[in-house]
Amino acid sequence: MTTLIIIIGAVVYAALYMIYGRKMESEVVKADNAIQTPAHRLYDGVDYVPTRTSVLFGHHFASVAGAAPIVGPVVAMAWGWVPALAWVWFGNIFIGAVHDYLAVMASVRYDGKSIQFVASDLINKRTGYLFYILVFFLLVLVVAAFAAVLGGMFMSNPGIPAAAAYLLIAAVIQGFLMYKTKLPFAVSTAIGIAMLVLVIYLAGVFPLEASRNFWFLAMFFYIIIAAALPVQVLLQPRDYLNAWLLYVGLILGGLGAIFAFQGFTAPAFTSFSPIISAGQPTPFWPVIPLIIACGSLSGFHALVASGTTSKQISSEKAGLAIGYGVMLVEGFLSTIVVIAVAGWGVQVMTGAGQTITTAGWSTQYTPAMSGSFPNAAMFSETWAAMIGDTWLNFIPETFLRIVAGMWVSSFALTTLDSTNRLARYTLAEIFLPLKSKSESLYRFFSNRWVASVIPAAIGVYLGWSGSFGLLWPSFGAANQLIAAIALLTGTAWVSKRLKTKATYAFIPAMALWVTVTAAMVWYLAVVIPVTWAANPATGGTVGFITVAMLIMNIIFIIDFFKTKNQPLADTEIGAE
Amino acid sequence: MNPLDPLKRTFQFLKSFSSTMDTAHRNRAVGLTECEVRELENMFVLLLMGSFTGVPAPPSFISAELLPYLEHEIKVVNRRSESASDALSELSGCFDIT
Amino acid sequence: MKTIFFTGKGGVGKSTLSATCAWQLAEKGYKTLLLSIDPAHNVADIFDTSVGHKKSKFSTNLYLQEANLDKAASVYIEQNIDILTEVYSYTKAFNFDTYFKVLRYSPGVEEYASLTILEQTLRNETDYDFIVFDTPPTGLTLRILALPNISITWVDRLRRIRKQILEKRHTIHNITGKYSEEGFRLAYDEKDDAVMQKLNEIWQRYVNVYKALKGEDNSIAVVFNPDYLSLRESQRILEGLDDLYLPLRAAFNNKYEDRLQDTADEVERELLGANGKKVHIARVPLVPAERRNTYKNDFDVTEAFR
Repeated sequence: MTTLIIIIGAVVYAALYMIYGRKMESEVVKADNAIQTPAHRLYDGVDYVPTRTSVLFGHHFASVAGAAPIVGPVVAMAWGWVPALAWVWFGNIFIGAVHDYLAVMASVRYDGKSIQFVASDLINKRTGYLFYILVFFLLVLVVAAFAAVLGGMFMSNPGIPAAAAYLLIAAVIQGFLMYKTKLPFAVSTAIGIAMLVLVIYLAGVFPLEASRNFWFLAMFFYIIIAAALPVQVLLQPRDYLNAWLLYVGLILGGLGAIFAFQGFTAPAFTSFSPIISAGQPTPFWPVIPLIIACGSLSGFHALVASGTTSKQISSEKAGLAIGYGVMLVEGFLSTIVVIAVAGWGVQVMTGAGQTITTAGWSTQYTPAMSGSFPNAAMFSETWAAMIGDTWLNFIPETFLRIVAGMWVSSFALTTLDSTNRLARYTLAEIFLPLKSKSESLYRFFSNRWVASVIPAAIGVYLGWSGSFGLLWPSFGAANQLIAAIALLTGTAWVSKRLKTKATYAFIPAMALWVTVTAAMVWYLAVVIPVTWAANPATGGTVGFITVAMLIMNIIFIIDFFKTKNQPLADTEIGAE
Repeated sequence: MNPLDPLKRTFQFLKSFSSTMDTAHRNRAVGLTECEVRELENMFVLLLMGSFTGVPAPPSFISAELLPYLEHEIKVVNRRSESASDALSELSGCFDIT
Repeated sequence: MKTIFFTGKGGVGKSTLSATCAWQLAEKGYKTLLLSIDPAHNVADIFDTSVGHKKSKFSTNLYLQEANLDKAASVYIEQNIDILTEVYSYTKAFNFDTYFKVLRYSPGVEEYASLTILEQTLRNETDYDFIVFDTPPTGLTLRILALPNISITWVDRLRRIRKQILEKRHTIHNITGKYSEEGFRLAYDEKDDAVMQKLNEIWQRYVNVYKALKGEDNSIAVVFNPDYLSLRESQRILEGLDDLYLPLRAAFNNKYEDRLQDTADEVERELLGANGKKVHIARVPLVPAERRNTYKNDFDVTEAFR
């Protein structure tokens, strides 16, 4: 079954890439290699540099791959593996990859300007401003969600915080080797990989135990300090080592899925509304995009694609591989995660002493992932078990579990660091318009320590006090809202500038928008009150953010429809 | 058809694959540093040219002496001044978030 | 080579004293250069001869020079405009190359040109035993004297940033090798970076000037009159020199008359108070108005610099 699914997945992706992707390319975007991309036309040797497509593919993929495509599908397994796969496959192909592709191509045709700029140009200036606020919320919530993930992981397996700590030291050493010495790159890479192995071994032998509060406090200080360091010290070398972790994870996972020859023990379909968020029945529609975000559709990708990637694409037709293709590969990663949980979830959960039956799955699955067996452990253990059931079983399972745990934690910790740096910037941009009215307020919020502490403090607090089931969908909501805006911007681009078949973009865009809005309303109506009752501070904060996002959403959609049928100023051929 | 052809082509493919991987890795190892050095170059020129933009600057003769050698940096400044208001996406590209 | 700077308010007799000093040194057998960097030159008048931007010999040991600041500035700018227009030669197509000439009017031209002359003189004219400088009025003089320090600070900051840039480029090149590729060539080592070399050169230039000014072979003298008007401005000069850690060696109470003794005493006390011990104080008698060749004075000015 596992093998079957992975082959079907590969076939589905490949086939629809050829059919649907190519259709988008030829009929909607009308990509033409004769049109010079900005990388050539605006070449400056600095940002606009045509890059080999294969290299750019790898670069873009590495930028978008992270811990999120793993966490989401694990949660979504509450609905059963068919709904989860359905979203990972079809949500990705028809919405997610389209979103990425349109973002890249719009940016390419806009001289490499960002999707934010395109939105300001085609919809409304304040739409561009909305991006800052939404991104800021996203950054805070991703810290909250990942802090919760990490907190759970650290408490359930003391080997993992040990691995994280030792990896930190290894990264600093790696940075020293790569940047301060004259060692050949291959040598320092080899040492880095050796250190990774050593870290895994040491983590098993010298685990670290501490209280939950300690870990959260440690995370807070880690964020503040790491985000203040020069990037060569920690962030960049860790980034580099993460890439190797990613390969190992992907390759082993892929091999595991293909060669395990196991049937699925998890149910194909449990119920439309199993217990997921805050102990409430969570309807598949509209909430699924909030649960599986990255891996199927991620608004953040629009920013990355229209940031550096679009300035480096060397030909228009390369855009398909990079915009559409990368997203599909990420979907492939999520597919492997679904397979792992579907095949080994029951085994792993019963092994951990949790009651789980096919009939009771919808009410038992999510609560089973708590306390000493958190969400991320579901991933690391099923993944390890999956590989253990193949010819790769010479690798000890404890080792594999730590590798999987390291994979998630290392990416998550890098995210915590990067988000803080980005948050400093967005906070300053958010308060910029208020500068003329209150200079001191602006100064306060753009102070680098204030701007660093605020998102870190809110994020870590929410992660500490809130449940994962509360935080993950709220992060998903911010992400999906940005995606909806980006996709609708892409639609506006197609209809206003390209004047081709906008329906290919408009239908998924509106479907997404309606879904995301409904999901946020559901969340506000169902999840927030429950959380508020348990913890007003947490419920209030997340509730406030959700309300703010909904308001901005309404403003946006009004602006979108107001300008939808307005012709662009320069297309009015009047007095010629 | 030469029986060695498929073998040769596989070999070629592996070679180009590993060279791509090599380039991609090297780029990843310095990606952030490249983002950083561009900003430093931007700042360097801004400090020098400050007197042309109202920012306190070194005596303009020091700037004048250095200016002829700063062609690359001035390109960076020009590019940055265009994109300074659109930096969110570029920063997102530099930093891995999700 | 020793240097002497005569500073003071306008009209106190600074130029006359510096001329006297130079003349006396020359008469004593020292090869001496009297260089005026005061835009309102008096040297030619005092010696009743024509003096120009180039040194001219007045007597066996005495050479005179009135530095033309405008000319110095122009030469300097021309040099740099040449390089600028070479690099940006396409601006010729738009006649924009002339725009670089606006540099002549930037603030600080006078100071900078004076400093350039000073620096060049200190560097080149080492075969003189003494160089006596007649300086411009107080404000300009202080700014000129402060310029090496300011420049050193700025250049140091710029060097530090440049070092960081080069270090990061070096790291990038080490790993990707991209800076030896066509179209991407950038310097990543200090020895290859024209900018860094220039910064180091400029830094060294100013450090040398500052060292020379602070050193044992340099003397700064302040000239004032026995009246309260020149007292205030002279105090400014002393404060300025103090801030720059530049050594005051002599103080000339010029145009002294016995009837002004009390005022003279008080002015000296007010001005030199604590410094009185380290500074050589000399009262130079008033020279009758009808005297010609005022540089020939019985009073030995050079004594203060023994």
